[in-house]
Amino acid sequence: MRNISLILKQFSRSVLLVAGLVAAGFNAHAQADAAKGEAIFKAKCTACHKIETRMTGPALGPQLTEETDDAYLIKWVQNSQALVAAKNPKAVKIFNEFNGTPMTSFEDLSDADVSNVITYVRTEWKKIQEAPKPAGGDTATEDKGPSSVVVWGLIGVIVIAFIVILVLNKVIGTLERLLLNKGGVALVEEDEEEEKAKADRTAIFKKIIKNKKLVFFIVVCGTIAMGSWQWVTLWNTNVHQGYQPVQPIKYSHELHAGVMKIECQYCHVAAFKGKNASIPSLNICMNCHKSVKTESAEIHKIYDALGYDPNTAKYDSTKAKPIQWVRIHNLPDLAYFNHSQHVKVGGIKCQTCHGQVQEMKEVYQYSPLTMKWCIQCHKRTEVNGKGNAYYDSILAAHDKIKKGEKVTAAVLGGIECAKCHY
Amino acid sequence: MDSNKKYWKGLEELNRTPEFVEKNKHEFAEPIPIEEVLSGGGLSAKTPRRDFLKALGFGVGAVTLAACQKVPVHKSIPYLVKPEEVTPGVANYYTSTFEGNAILVKTREGRPIKVEGNPNDLLSKGGLSAQGQASVLDLYDTNRVQDPMLNGSTSGWAQVDAFVKSELAAVVAAGKTISIVTATKSSPSTQAVIADFITKYPTAKHVTYDAVSYTGIIKANQNSFGKAVLPHYNFDKADVIVSFGADFLGTWISGEEFTRQYVSNRNLKSLEEKKMSRHIQFESGMSMTGTNADARIAIKPSEEGPALVNLYNAISGTTLPGSKKLSNTKADTAIKIAANELKAAKGRALVVCGSNDVATQVLVNAINSLLGSYGTTIDLDNPSRQYAGNDSDIVEFIAAAKGGNVGAAIFLDANPAYDYHSTAAVAGALKKVRLKVSFSDHADETAALCNVVAPNHHYLESWGDDSAIEGYYTVIQPAINPVYNTRQAETSLLVWSDNTAKDYYTYVRNNWNTKLLAIGGLSGQAGWETLLQTGFVKAAPVAAGTYNFSLDLNAVAQTIFSQSAKLGEGVSLAGKKVELQVYQNNAMRDGKRSNNPWLQELPDPVSKVTWDNFVAMAPSDAKKLGLDEFGVVKVTANGYTVELPVLEQPGQAPDTISIAVGYGRTAAGKVGDGVGKNAFPFYSFLNGTFQTIAQATIESTGDTFPLSQTQTHHSYEGRNVIRETTFAEYKKNPEAGKGEEEGEHKKYDLWENTNNDHIHARPVYDWVMAIDLNACTGCGACVVACSAENNVPVVGKEEVGRRREMHWIRIDRYYSFDKNGEAEADERTGMVTKEKEIAKLEDFSNVTVVHQPMLCQHCDHAPCETVCPVLATVHSSEGLNQMAYNRCVGTRYCANNCPYKVRRFNWFNYWNDSRFDNYLNNEHTQLVLNPDVTTRFRGVMEKCSMCVQRIQAGKLKAKMEKRPLQDGEIKMACQQTCSANAIIFGNRNDKNSEVYKALQSERTYYVLEELNVQPGIGYQVKVRNTGTESLA
Repeated sequence: MRNISLILKQFSRSVLLVAGLVAAGFNAHAQADAAKGEAIFKAKCTACHKIETRMTGPALGPQLTEETDDAYLIKWVQNSQALVAAKNPKAVKIFNEFNGTPMTSFEDLSDADVSNVITYVRTEWKKIQEAPKPAGGDTATEDKGPSSVVVWGLIGVIVIAFIVILVLNKVIGTLERLLLNKGGVALVEEDEEEEKAKADRTAIFKKIIKNKKLVFFIVVCGTIAMGSWQWVTLWNTNVHQGYQPVQPIKYSHELHAGVMKIECQYCHVAAFKGKNASIPSLNICMNCHKSVKTESAEIHKIYDALGYDPNTAKYDSTKAKPIQWVRIHNLPDLAYFNHSQHVKVGGIKCQTCHGQVQEMKEVYQYSPLTMKWCIQCHKRTEVNGKGNAYYDSILAAHDKIKKGEKVTAAVLGGIECAKCHY
Repeated sequence: MDSNKKYWKGLEELNRTPEFVEKNKHEFAEPIPIEEVLSGGGLSAKTPRRDFLKALGFGVGAVTLAACQKVPVHKSIPYLVKPEEVTPGVANYYTSTFEGNAILVKTREGRPIKVEGNPNDLLSKGGLSAQGQASVLDLYDTNRVQDPMLNGSTSGWAQVDAFVKSELAAVVAAGKTISIVTATKSSPSTQAVIADFITKYPTAKHVTYDAVSYTGIIKANQNSFGKAVLPHYNFDKADVIVSFGADFLGTWISGEEFTRQYVSNRNLKSLEEKKMSRHIQFESGMSMTGTNADARIAIKPSEEGPALVNLYNAISGTTLPGSKKLSNTKADTAIKIAANELKAAKGRALVVCGSNDVATQVLVNAINSLLGSYGTTIDLDNPSRQYAGNDSDIVEFIAAAKGGNVGAAIFLDANPAYDYHSTAAVAGALKKVRLKVSFSDHADETAALCNVVAPNHHYLESWGDDSAIEGYYTVIQPAINPVYNTRQAETSLLVWSDNTAKDYYTYVRNNWNTKLLAIGGLSGQAGWETLLQTGFVKAAPVAAGTYNFSLDLNAVAQTIFSQSAKLGEGVSLAGKKVELQVYQNNAMRDGKRSNNPWLQELPDPVSKVTWDNFVAMAPSDAKKLGLDEFGVVKVTANGYTVELPVLEQPGQAPDTISIAVGYGRTAAGKVGDGVGKNAFPFYSFLNGTFQTIAQATIESTGDTFPLSQTQTHHSYEGRNVIRETTFAEYKKNPEAGKGEEEGEHKKYDLWENTNNDHIHARPVYDWVMAIDLNACTGCGACVVACSAENNVPVVGKEEVGRRREMHWIRIDRYYSFDKNGEAEADERTGMVTKEKEIAKLEDFSNVTVVHQPMLCQHCDHAPCETVCPVLATVHSSEGLNQMAYNRCVGTRYCANNCPYKVRRFNWFNYWNDSRFDNYLNNEHTQLVLNPDVTTRFRGVMEKCSMCVQRIQAGKLKAKMEKRPLQDGEIKMACQQTCSANAIIFGNRNDKNSEVYKALQSERTYYVLEELNVQPGIGYQVKVRNTGTESLA
């Protein structure tokens, strides 16, 4: 019996194996088709197409799912202009819809290649549609760390716990007293003792007050403490170091400058050219965000500001309204600061004054921006004059006076009033 | 000769009137009543002590509350789509044209903030007039018409177009004429548009007239040589210039260009070659040109014609019938001497005359022909196109309108309801015109009479072109989108005449493509783009031909004599009859820009009066009439009467008065309305031209009307700051007149020897200036340029009267008695002059003038720096006297201690105070502010910063381009606009710099050098070419 069962087991195993292999084989065949299609799609199509949204060309997912005539699609991909020229109504319609932008012809793609791509797009689109939609889709709040609800909740819990402890203490006290009462222990005595203790305490207090040295010491300490506090507060009046206002768009420098490693001046174009570093105009955002993260609510704020409709890829300037960023670095108007002098001529990194911006989710004021801070740097920083013919004669002249000492910005007059105030 | 010559800024200083002495005791006209408050004054004082304490308490509380404020939220709003050419914080420059001069418009973030001369401009080579500098402010004028108006109410362009077109059709159907009345339009494209309009409406006629007219010269040239043109004068080719009342350095035809030409024969370079031109001026009222003349002879307007006849006689050796010796012996001698000098300089001589009388100008042509001026100093073949107005055209237009023959009148840059001599005639005539259209950008006097106001763009919003001189074509391109709902006048004309070109830009492009680009060897799109960068094209000038005058002058002489006799008949102060001369002053000109506060506050170069016109009268005449200072008189001439205050003007010919046009606007806007009185109605129309002279009766009203005159503000208390010599002396000894003997004081110094001291060492840059007193004409363009560059506020008439004007640079005008080179014993005293000298020299018509631009001297040992208790003003290692506004607490010690009186105190928040409703307190006009310069708060001191923002910008540019700073790369605002190149700025440490070379000149002296404050600005001695013969 055991043998039979073994045989059966073996047989069934092999059957299963074969079946599995066959199934796997079938599977493998289907996957190869889509995989090939994916490779081709990524290499040739993504420049103009996305599966779920419209770019230069239509969103391919819905487009290819609605259009079931594969032969037509293959012809279109291989030479769309021929179809348009032949006045194929479908071809002409879509051609006109996209403002007569001709699609690149892919005559090097075989029929099989194209159908692979079509299969891939259809399966991907199906997957996207079947996938559950993220609730709310507000990823930004997750980034923000503990939300205010959580914070207030915690505070509430602590407060309640505190009250409970107080109440419990009171209850315990009452119970104890009741117990003692029951036991008939002389409570009076204790009261007397308490009074005594009270008297003692006032006596100590009186004693302390009479001790003039101690009082003097405490007063001096208090004055010093208050004075220093006032001193620090006054010095820091209108110093907004750490100022981090909420911005109209949740833009992350950490993502752009840190993860994506985009150069600062890609967006802050004017920093190397003139006085202002300039907040980028939205056309710079659109260089990428015409096709990157087009579904994000934050990116849609850019679209709204520009009056841009991502579905038609058209701008409507009548709907345009500027974005009102909240200014973080407010150098007073009486001080003239020129970015190009510092970053282009001086070769100073943006981070020196603005902090590790590439690690900031939201930018805050890193430096105090006080005159003291400016001057300290001018006194310590050596002038970056190498390879700049402007400085040749100047540094030579100063070397004569300073006899080879470090030539800082201050030595060249960098802390004189009219260098910044005019 | 300098040290015994006495200089004075005004009669009050000369006579040391009690008011003057009293005022000059104090640094500030009205001292703060601190003693009153603190001492016995108590509650009865102006500010009672309790009120003071209340205010103090409230102030402290308010400040404390204000300090509790959290971070103020500033919004930063970037471009949605940034224009490619705009980089925030970096200025762009665009070429354009202002009144025929090629200019550069500086824009920041798309808004024009300053206008500068194009260094390649044919006319003034980078110089620009005060009007040009001020024109940028007009762009932001809130009094501009902001929408088209139809029958007095705001309308839209479509309605206006429909209305005008239907009305024009009706006018044509009725067989009436259409008149397009304009000021001179030298723009070829505008002329073409008007020509096209006339083709469409054949009954249309183009009437050109100028408020201040040059028809006399044009008609005289037509008469003498058959060329009805305004000649192009070459003052640089003239060694001897004789001018009869022509203010050619200021208001006459092309002042900036003539200044450049004139000074080229009198500046540092020319003097070093021992060359200097000679300039003799005959005139009635003291003009700016007269103040610069080597010899100035005061004559009455009635003497001008006979003087010219005598000059002609002396040069030609003939005698015109009716000639007789001038009763004015001084003038008579002067004419003889001038004739001799002119004859000696044949081919290098020039006679000009400011008269608008044809006969007089014909005679001038005859004289110039005798002198061989045609082909050398006068060019009739490349004529000027700046003025082409014909006076009889406007007179005929008014007559035709009055007769009901004109169906439509269109006014472009023309305001006859203000500047025609009979405004009542204009108003009456226009009532009979069916369609009246004004293109004025302000609701001016004429616009008020029109049924359509189609506001024109400001020129900085316009496309267009211009041609100041034949063969020189400049382009106008917009530097900003239209600020208001305006439309360019040419576009309107194109629309109304159904032109194929629907907008003026297309029209201008076509015009240039087909005609003008080829002149500069350009073509097509690339050619157009080149043009927009260079700003102009220039044809090779035609060789200037010689012209011979060959007409009979007897009739001309007859006309001149009869007019002169009529004008001078019975003139005497006793009979209250005087000769009246109507002139343009340097700031306001014809009054078209009278709503511009920068120009209103610019002191007149001669009188130093701001915000008013007046009756200029010789001091002796005023005394004879028994007038007080600024006593009001009633002047009646040609049936028109005005009441104006009298200004005692040294140099004014006796028995004459002068009144400036350009004032008395009633519909200019809130700045210009009611400033002064209109003098245009004194004009008369005679022999085909407007006459600017008339006989007037004058009587005192007994009132006084104070004028805000800046002449004696900022006194030196009699210290001599002017150095002057004669050309003859200079040739003998180039250091003549420098006053070296005065420097022999022992020099005291608060500072230790600074040779090895880092603090006072100037290791790299030593920014200094050189100002050539012989080049400066006193025009004041630098004052306006400085105001525009440095956000200097306008304070208005009242405050100027309190000596509180804010200009960082002022032009001090000094009078002295012309002693004709007589050597006098040294009689130096502390006083300006001695009483006996006044008695001896009471001939006030015989004064000479020196102009001295005065600004912060950036002293190396600055007296202001040592007295500042808070170190708000300190010295830089580049030789600048720095001013940190935020440190200043307003003690004003520095102003007290400044020997040059160049520091200005902010008495108010001029940019945020409704009492100073000039331009700065308005969000719109604030757009003109230079964002690189802070606006100053109440209670702080300010002064010339030597355009430190420009120095810093220049250095930064060199650093970014990794090259050494070039000499001349950084220009001060005042220097840049000076057509005369009187101001040179640069680095004294650079031995090859222009400024170093200029300061090495023998003529260089430092003002108040004896104080040893070591000023950073060197002046060059004024040289006067007094000639060999005495003129008196």
